[in-house]
Amino acid sequence: MGQLKDILREGFADTFYIWWEEIKNVFKDMGVLIFFIIVPLFYPLIYSFLYSNETVHDVPAAVVDNSHSSLSREFLRKVDATADIAIISHCSDMEEAELLMKETKVYGIILIPEDFSDNIARGEQAKVTIYSNMAGLLYYKAMLTATTNVSLDMNKKIKIERAGNTTNRQDEVSTTPLKYEDVSLYNPHNGFASFLIPAVLILIIQQTLLLGIGLAAGTARENNRFGDLIPMSSHYHGTMRIVLGKSMCYMMIYAIMAAYLVCVVPEIFGFVQVSQPFTLFVFMVPYILACIFFSMTCSIFIHHREACFLIFVCTSVPLLFISGISWPGTAIPPFWKVLSWIFPSTWGIRGFVAVNTMGATWSEIQEEYHILWLQTGIYFVTTCIVYRWQILSSERHLLDGESNKLG
Amino acid sequence: MTINVHRRIYLIAKREVLRIATRPLYLFSMVIAPLFCYIFFTTLMWNGLPTDLPIGVVDLDNTSTTRNIIRNLDAFQQTKIVKHYDSFSAARKDMQKGNIYSFYLIPKGTTEKALASRQPTVSFYTNYSYLIAGSLLYKDQRTMSELAGGAIGRATLRAKGFTDDQAMAILQPIVIDSHALNNPWLNYSVYLSNTLIPGILMLLIFMTTIYSIGSELKQNTQKEWMGLANNSIYTALTGKMLPQTIIFFIMAVAYNMYLYGFLHYPCNSGIIPMLFMGLLLVVSSQAFGIFLFGSLTTMRYALSAAALWGVLSFSISGMSYPVMAMHPTLQGLAYLFPLRHYYLLYVNLALNGYPLIYAWESVVALLLFTLLPFIVIRHLNTVVTQYKYIP
Repeated sequence: MGQLKDILREGFADTFYIWWEEIKNVFKDMGVLIFFIIVPLFYPLIYSFLYSNETVHDVPAAVVDNSHSSLSREFLRKVDATADIAIISHCSDMEEAELLMKETKVYGIILIPEDFSDNIARGEQAKVTIYSNMAGLLYYKAMLTATTNVSLDMNKKIKIERAGNTTNRQDEVSTTPLKYEDVSLYNPHNGFASFLIPAVLILIIQQTLLLGIGLAAGTARENNRFGDLIPMSSHYHGTMRIVLGKSMCYMMIYAIMAAYLVCVVPEIFGFVQVSQPFTLFVFMVPYILACIFFSMTCSIFIHHREACFLIFVCTSVPLLFISGISWPGTAIPPFWKVLSWIFPSTWGIRGFVAVNTMGATWSEIQEEYHILWLQTGIYFVTTCIVYRWQILSSERHLLDGESNKLG
Repeated sequence: MTINVHRRIYLIAKREVLRIATRPLYLFSMVIAPLFCYIFFTTLMWNGLPTDLPIGVVDLDNTSTTRNIIRNLDAFQQTKIVKHYDSFSAARKDMQKGNIYSFYLIPKGTTEKALASRQPTVSFYTNYSYLIAGSLLYKDQRTMSELAGGAIGRATLRAKGFTDDQAMAILQPIVIDSHALNNPWLNYSVYLSNTLIPGILMLLIFMTTIYSIGSELKQNTQKEWMGLANNSIYTALTGKMLPQTIIFFIMAVAYNMYLYGFLHYPCNSGIIPMLFMGLLLVVSSQAFGIFLFGSLTTMRYALSAAALWGVLSFSISGMSYPVMAMHPTLQGLAYLFPLRHYYLLYVNLALNGYPLIYAWESVVALLLFTLLPFIVIRHLNTVVTQYKYIP
């Protein structure tokens, strides 16, 4: 009984010793500090600043108006008045407009045919042709949205004018029996920032932990005589105390960094933030823990400080795509979908977007929440296993060293 | 006996090949990681456009007319009705769970109102926190609603003796005929992979370049390296970079072949100019890596800078969110990212097939990146000959 008490006391003492050592290591190592503090502090600000306009306005467009009628002029005036498009040039023919496209002075061309006004007068369908540069889909979206909205608006007017003798209202109803409205939920401006930034914030937590812990592990090995992860010290003899001591250090740092990322950054830039504080807090705990143990497990592969850059950095973009936030989750092929389940970021992003952007409550994020705890458990066990293995190998190296000396 | 520069470069290159071959990390960063990303992005977006996005329906009216509207909506390629709900809040809850991207709400009495010419309103709710899915669904639902309204209107007009063409002209006097130039399928993989893949390659070139120079200092082998070059930093760097240039260029040729040859993505300029651009991408990225190392002198700072620069370039290149929509400061900063110039060249050449003259500025910019090492070369010489590795 007394023995157990001693082991426990020693264990606690060692855990706190390791925790304190790890804190000192982190704050001594500029490389680790960059990833634990500087990147989480400033990277989100850069990203938010980048997308802060949310959407593209006044895409420059050229027009070729072969109709020269009051109707065509009205159409163009209305298009120019939309927020999406700015008509910057009236060209006499398509060649002129195409030249502007090549010079990237405009990103789209609106062509109004000669018979535009005559067709409408004759009661035939008139066609407006638009051409869009596909360098970015947002140009196309702006062109299409602006011209479609103007055409629907003018159609309504034309229909009412044609009605003539009957009452306007009645005729509008007979040609448009069903009205529809669209409501965009959770991202009122259909903006880029409100859609991408929440995912980026969550991904930053995982990626900086991977890099920072990887770097720390690489340093530990390089400082070790045998290239081992575990230092030769009597404090580092138990798996549990090493894993707990180190993770406690990371948890402390990331409790602060995560609070900054998920509370302060959206506040500064005024992004959608409708989360319930308690739900958000309860959700972030398993996410950070899962990331920490995931990173500690992965850090075992890092034998040199710099290797973690080459291995981890380029995973960021694929992880963002695989999370289901940009490319719809249902369109991800099964193989990649299963692979995505391994990473805490996939569940973290989905859950955070639900909580932060859609105001989901506790009951709607059960799946993500439980999987994150499951990951925490699994990665905790794998971390213990790899650290146990490291302790054994460092003990073996020590013994070999001793016997060599004797021999 | 003196040996000439060519011989020296050859010896250093041979030494570099050995270094690359004996370290698995190089194999990873030069071959495995790029290949993985080529395969990853293109297979992830294999269909080009996401199909069968799950949506829900709240049909509070539940008549044959509303069921018909719903059936029509389901027939669209991009939508798939996965669930019917009996209330708005049930549908909203499922949306928050991420099970559906949008839902269609048909209020009670819709059919009755339509028949009595009282113009009922149907609504669709779209979750725009998933922007791509949201935008795609919006398009379908809008068309659908137009058609649903049109179908009822057309029936009325047909009864009055109009032909279908006449009916359409009455219902929609003006129509928009849209042409998405050179990507008429609105293929997302064409739109994204063409810049994401070179971007990843660039990022890896930055880091590999810095790592390969930095590891000389770290392993304390810089004397041997500089000795082979007769203490000329130009010879030393040329010999060291040459094998990497060749390997990375092969990787660049590989993605060009894969995207334009195998997947048949638009390549309206022909493959040859794109291969030249690939070479320019490799050389300018290597130069940028050397520049970062030369100016920051410490491997970990240079690698951190390269990582942050490389990851940021995906956003600032303007491939997904146009540069013109960014703050003017950022529009200026965008010039400092090689990927921005590569993206402009890709759009000009492969996508649109315009003559290179319209994008000459980007070629000049990438060439200027290639000249960057000359700014720091003296400093780099000092670093390599005098500095010690600091972890």
